[in-house]
Amino acid sequence: MEKKLENLQILVNHLTYHYPDGTIALKGINLNIYSGEIVGIMGKNGAGKSTLIKTFNGLLKPTTGTVYIENDEVNNVLMSKLTRKVGIVFQNPDLQLFANTVEDEIRFSLKNLNFTKTELENQINLTLEKFKLKKFQNRTPFTLSGGEKKRLAIASIMCRNPEIIVFDEPTIGQDAEGVEFIRNLIKEKHSEGKTIIIVTHDIEFAIDNIPRTILMADGLIIADGPTNKILSQDQILNIGSLISPQLIILSKFLIDSGIKVPDDVYLKENMIQFLGSFFKEKMEISEGGKF
Amino acid sequence: MNLIKFKDFSFKYDQAQDFVLKDIKLNIESGKFILLCGITGSGKTSLVRAMNGLIPQFYHGEIKGDVFVKGKNTKNVPTSTLSRDVGLVFQNPENQLIAMNVEREIAFGPENIGIPWDEMDSRIKECIKITDIEHLRKKAPFEISGGEQQRVAIASILALQPEIIIFDEPTSLLDPKSAIQILNLLKKILLEKKISTIIVIEHRLDIVLPLADEVILIDKGRIIEHGEAHNVINGEKFLNSGVNIPKCVSVFQKLMNQNIFTGKLPISIEETKNLINYIK
Amino acid sequence: MSFEFMQAFKFIQMKTIIHNLDPRTKLLLAIIYSILAIMFEEIFILFFIFLTLFPFIFAGQLFKKWIKSIRGMAFLFLLLIIFNTLFSTFSKSISMIIRIMIMVSSFSLFFLTVHPDDLMLSLISLKVPYNIAFSFSLSFRFVPTIAIEAQNIIDAQKSRGYEMEQGGLISQAKNLIPLLIPLIVCSMKRAFHIAEALDSRAFGSTKNRTYYYSISYTKKDWLITVILIIFFIFGIIVKVFPVLLPDWLFWRFPV
Repeated sequence: MEKKLENLQILVNHLTYHYPDGTIALKGINLNIYSGEIVGIMGKNGAGKSTLIKTFNGLLKPTTGTVYIENDEVNNVLMSKLTRKVGIVFQNPDLQLFANTVEDEIRFSLKNLNFTKTELENQINLTLEKFKLKKFQNRTPFTLSGGEKKRLAIASIMCRNPEIIVFDEPTIGQDAEGVEFIRNLIKEKHSEGKTIIIVTHDIEFAIDNIPRTILMADGLIIADGPTNKILSQDQILNIGSLISPQLIILSKFLIDSGIKVPDDVYLKENMIQFLGSFFKEKMEISEGGKF
Repeated sequence: MNLIKFKDFSFKYDQAQDFVLKDIKLNIESGKFILLCGITGSGKTSLVRAMNGLIPQFYHGEIKGDVFVKGKNTKNVPTSTLSRDVGLVFQNPENQLIAMNVEREIAFGPENIGIPWDEMDSRIKECIKITDIEHLRKKAPFEISGGEQQRVAIASILALQPEIIIFDEPTSLLDPKSAIQILNLLKKILLEKKISTIIVIEHRLDIVLPLADEVILIDKGRIIEHGEAHNVINGEKFLNSGVNIPKCVSVFQKLMNQNIFTGKLPISIEETKNLINYIK
Repeated sequence: MSFEFMQAFKFIQMKTIIHNLDPRTKLLLAIIYSILAIMFEEIFILFFIFLTLFPFIFAGQLFKKWIKSIRGMAFLFLLLIIFNTLFSTFSKSISMIIRIMIMVSSFSLFFLTVHPDDLMLSLISLKVPYNIAFSFSLSFRFVPTIAIEAQNIIDAQKSRGYEMEQGGLISQAKNLIPLLIPLIVCSMKRAFHIAEALDSRAFGSTKNRTYYYSISYTKKDWLITVILIIFFIFGIIVKVFPVLLPDWLFWRFPV
């Protein structure tokens, strides 16, 4: 997809942020995010990731510098306007669930969006169906399981249909099914043209699902580019407190062993294909059957 | 030596509909690094709560069967006594660190059991040394990073000198590098015989599997696999369990399905590299 | 306003004479000053008592924090002056203000210089049962945690379109529900987790608990305690025999 200036959706210029107690969380961030991108933000705890995303929806105002969300500069615009465009799904659903029923949770999220009565009921129903929460419609949210609560928290942001969706650590504590759900959600929103930003530590998830990664350390962006490149540079990984995904390590190993590999062999399907034909080759050479 | 024994143990929380643990028969032996895994809701946390008496003493409900910790029945012996044998470190250090500085934190456990001052002092010194937190001695819990907090939590439990320590998702809030450091610390503690057995509950199997001697797989409250790590990984039940199977395992699993590969699935990158070297 | 005021009670680790004093000495100071403040209503006398606090404030390098707390209460003082002058005399209002300043300052001195864990130890030395003293210090420990959580809850709710200042007084109160309920739920969950963690660390396993840290009275503590007691006795004497003092000390405002 072309990165034209007219597709520029988030523009951050020399952004700094000082917390009231004096900590400088952001020391000069410059960033362009284009419409429809899927971008990962990675880095150690305390690098400034959460602070950065909170400037996107107006939770935090820049100390110096500017943040443009489409044409709105966050210093000049009410937070209520920004939260219509930018939806942040935080990590812990317990921080937001409070209503009498699951349905009321969704209703609360839609409160200030000026829906008519019928539109409102429609949207609530659609959301509940979509996130498989219809059967819990009249239950109190506190009786849901951990995974169901997480779905509800996500649903309560998605029902507002924001153009920019930010996930804060979506895969922590999730098993394979949970990760799959997030994966599919991202795919779906991406196909709808939404811009998706994911703050994560999950390198395996990133390498599979996030094309572009921004690596932060100490309030600054230290790397910004294709995920596979960033997650294979040891020096950068060290500063960012990360490690390489397994298949990147493996592909480097293959290269170091003098074996020629295709560029994107770090993707699971490609690795399977490559190793498959590689082993077959060796089998034929040794004529010895399988390993 | 047998440290923990589950005898046909089942448990249902008071407010719950179903039994969260069903017919558990389990022996935890000394000298092992054990990975406990299973999908969310499978009963992992409940299983470990039953190992130090929190179930049934703190969490009430319906019980069948027994759990013995070094011969002591967890129904009768108070958790505070059992915690001298079984240490339990929870997921979020924020809810475990109760003192305003690291030294006092580590002293807390020994203080509770009435250890005399000299011995307390030497235990604290030793635990600080093993977990490498000398530079944090006088700091407050909120002044240090997540990885450092976990080290303090580990040191605090070590100070009680239990034979087993159980860790419930110790790395979920940590970045990958810190996660590996913590897990390597656990392995080191085991190898240096400071602790007899370590049990780790984790979803991040790619990081823990390479370190594990044994794997326990739990599903819907039942133990469906318990054995040497390689054996469990190669089993159908593990591969279909819904846990986060590490890429190096699933790549070779697919190759096996295509009949290109037979043999033991590698559980770590090291093993994968060795495998490829061998094939080369 | 409120945050500044709270800063006057938050402990910060420093190495001053005052910080190093036994917490019981400082508690005694706060109590004696408060009693003296209540005993008198003469403006000059109260002011004198107030001034004698300053050596302690300066010795503990607490002047800046102390100023913040007084600033934080400025609005309250203004209200008090207005209301009290309406219902009683201006003189009495001023007396009340100085009284409050003495009490707040002396207790602020205590909380600023006493480590919460030492607070617990001093309670125990006063024969407060361990469980109660421990709960006390645990609350201190978790105040910042709960404050951070409250902020996270506000952030999460605002991010789904929740708006805080809307409508009249009653609807503003209802508006707090999306903040209070998650806070209460999370705090209860936290309490559970803390309790099971405590159990798992042998809390309560023996009545003969030992202590790694201890507090003890030093020469400086005895010196200050003696000074405080003399000061207190002097105050009682003056109260019982006002003839001992010159007249001008009893001056009031005409109003």
